[in-house]
Amino acid sequence: MSKKHDKSKGLTRRDVLKISAASAVAASTPMFFVKDAWAQKAIGNFPVNGPTVTYGFNVPLTSIYADEGEDELRAYKLAVKHLNNGGGMVETLQPNALKRNGVLGKKVEYVVGDTQTNPDAARTSARRMIERDKVIMFSGGSSSAIAIAQQYLAQELGVIFMCGLTHSNDTTGKDKRRYGFRHFFNAYMTGKALAPILSKEYGKDRRAFHLTADYTWGHTQYQSMKDFTEKEGWTTVDNIMTPVKTTDFSQFLTPILNSDADVLILNHYGKNMNNSLTNAVEFGFKEMQKNGKNMEIVVPLYSRLMAKGAGQKNIEGVLGTTAWNWTQKDDDPGSKAFVETFEKEYGFPPSQAAQTCYVQTIIYSDAVERAGTFYPPAVIKALEGHEFAGTGPGKTLYRAEDHQCFKDMLVVKGKSPSQLKGKYDLLEIVSKVKREDTVYPVDTFPGELGPYEPA
Amino acid sequence: MVNQIFLQIVTGLQLGAIYVLIALGLTLIFGTLGVVNFTHGALFMLGAFSAVIISGNYGFVAAIIIVPPFLFFFGVLMERFIVRFFYDRPHTDQILVTFGFAIVIQETLKWIFGSNNIPFKMPAWGRGILKLHEYVPFLDGFVAYPKWRFILITVSFFTVIALFALLQFTRFGMVIRAGMNDSEILSFLGINITRRFTLVFGLGSMIAGLAGVFAGPVTNVDPGLGMFYLVPSFLVVVIGGMGSLPGAVLASFLLGMAQSFTVSFAGLQAIVVYIVAVVVLLFMPRGLLGKKGVLD
Repeated sequence: MSKKHDKSKGLTRRDVLKISAASAVAASTPMFFVKDAWAQKAIGNFPVNGPTVTYGFNVPLTSIYADEGEDELRAYKLAVKHLNNGGGMVETLQPNALKRNGVLGKKVEYVVGDTQTNPDAARTSARRMIERDKVIMFSGGSSSAIAIAQQYLAQELGVIFMCGLTHSNDTTGKDKRRYGFRHFFNAYMTGKALAPILSKEYGKDRRAFHLTADYTWGHTQYQSMKDFTEKEGWTTVDNIMTPVKTTDFSQFLTPILNSDADVLILNHYGKNMNNSLTNAVEFGFKEMQKNGKNMEIVVPLYSRLMAKGAGQKNIEGVLGTTAWNWTQKDDDPGSKAFVETFEKEYGFPPSQAAQTCYVQTIIYSDAVERAGTFYPPAVIKALEGHEFAGTGPGKTLYRAEDHQCFKDMLVVKGKSPSQLKGKYDLLEIVSKVKREDTVYPVDTFPGELGPYEPA
Repeated sequence: MVNQIFLQIVTGLQLGAIYVLIALGLTLIFGTLGVVNFTHGALFMLGAFSAVIISGNYGFVAAIIIVPPFLFFFGVLMERFIVRFFYDRPHTDQILVTFGFAIVIQETLKWIFGSNNIPFKMPAWGRGILKLHEYVPFLDGFVAYPKWRFILITVSFFTVIALFALLQFTRFGMVIRAGMNDSEILSFLGINITRRFTLVFGLGSMIAGLAGVFAGPVTNVDPGLGMFYLVPSFLVVVIGGMGSLPGAVLASFLLGMAQSFTVSFAGLQAIVVYIVAVVVLLFMPRGLLGKKGVLD
């Protein structure tokens, strides 16, 4: 008893020698033995156990961007189908590590959330996916305020967020995050691509009045359009910020009637644009003359869904930009594979929102296969600086420094009735803008990506 | 400057006209039946959906003829099979059941038509602009405004007049007003007040349908439309005084003007209707023309 008691009092000389020897052995072990142990560190929902892996698709199924959200969801479901069984862009992506049997041999499953086009609701929905459904990656659009909110959550919880449709400069600018990636183009690129064409079509001596959706996307869209049109010699008469949930824009159009502006720029998206354009046409802006010139309406960010929602007659002749259009199926094998499989599945062509969400899911999965692990820092490194083709026209680069994709984009115009070749053929391609023409220095916008491992 | 102020007044009037059309049925149902009807926004949306479909196939006049009676019938059925069982239940129960039914209508329409916006083509006779400077002498230069907005104001004006006339100068209106005061006495006198109440609910729904027909071309049509107008129309009813028809009209134009004259202040635009509500209720707790004893 006393002997045992004596032992517990402290270390013997023999114990000290044993510990020293063990420490020396541990310290001299080569680092490659430890590397795997570091890679297995639990981050977010890594490691993934079991025969399946779950993705989370958080899209707006209600409120002003619901039509985009529904199309995004269709694309996500199709991407999962192709990842598990082959087909679509899984066959055209170059380089391509996908095996057509899920991802890393695990069958891909998914859960769906409704962002309600509201950042708080989106965060709650995303958190539920991450904490309850254990998603390894989540994705969705269609509002930049929501994308940014989810990027911050992604960084905090260590789960990669592949942005759906988000066009604000802030997403990969001041609010960029290591765990967020954007395939879609942005407001800066829109301004850079669109302003020279506006100047060519409507002349250099123009006076523009802006109506702008009052949130991050609208603010950066307005600033980019203002900067680039002023470089072309235009004057900005005024700008009115409009609440996002406005359905009747008449009170905002009234001051424009009384101004000397001869161009109306609608920095609106989705149903906002549907209604502001409808109201502007009702107010006679398309037939009006100001300063001896025809009044013009511009919608900087366009989509086929918006064109349909606004009505063919209203969009006729209205210029804007879009990331991709389904009619490009004749331009490259990736677009062709996507459009054909989407049409076969749903009976109508996909929107640009659907295309970006589909590509994001495929590209993330490819990065996992290339990294050989779902470990988020390794997947992030596989995505950063990765250049690929087969997902649309030309090559696409995921810039490492800000996680912004650079690829070709389009300047489009609403078609006239005589040009229509079907009910989905609403947009005429005015210019195919090359990737190199919209690239900008990474320090154009401030912001830090943050660490690979969440604090 | 004169032009600008004049145009903002016209804008305030036409915004108010839309609110009047939507809130009139709501306050009629509340003032008569004491039911807080959260389905009202959905009824407005149903009116707009019906109108865009009928108008697309048979013309806008057909929509004017068919949609209000359809909504009347819909309202009668809704009262008979849902609302009637909640007359004696607390307001919270009424809110829950009517809100739930609104979601059912919204999701059903979304399931059938999808979430995408449906463009509502204005009839040819309502398109174009009115050159106001030709009619208003003090306006300077070219001043124009869409014709449809004046049609909206006119429809709203005649709807209000017709409803007041119905309630003030007809036997039906007299019974309804008596029923609002004491339905038990009316029952003792052998008058079937339940049947009248069903008709009132149908009438309220019919006005919501009419609002859908005439506001649809300026708001376009989608399944979220009803929820968007639900809150402002309830604010109109509360600011005007629960159950007061003249109060609802006054509050509608007050909110319309408040929205029109704050266009340059983005932050204020989104909250101005709530600020008006707070200020009015602070100094007039029953609303502008609220009656003593109603929801006190």
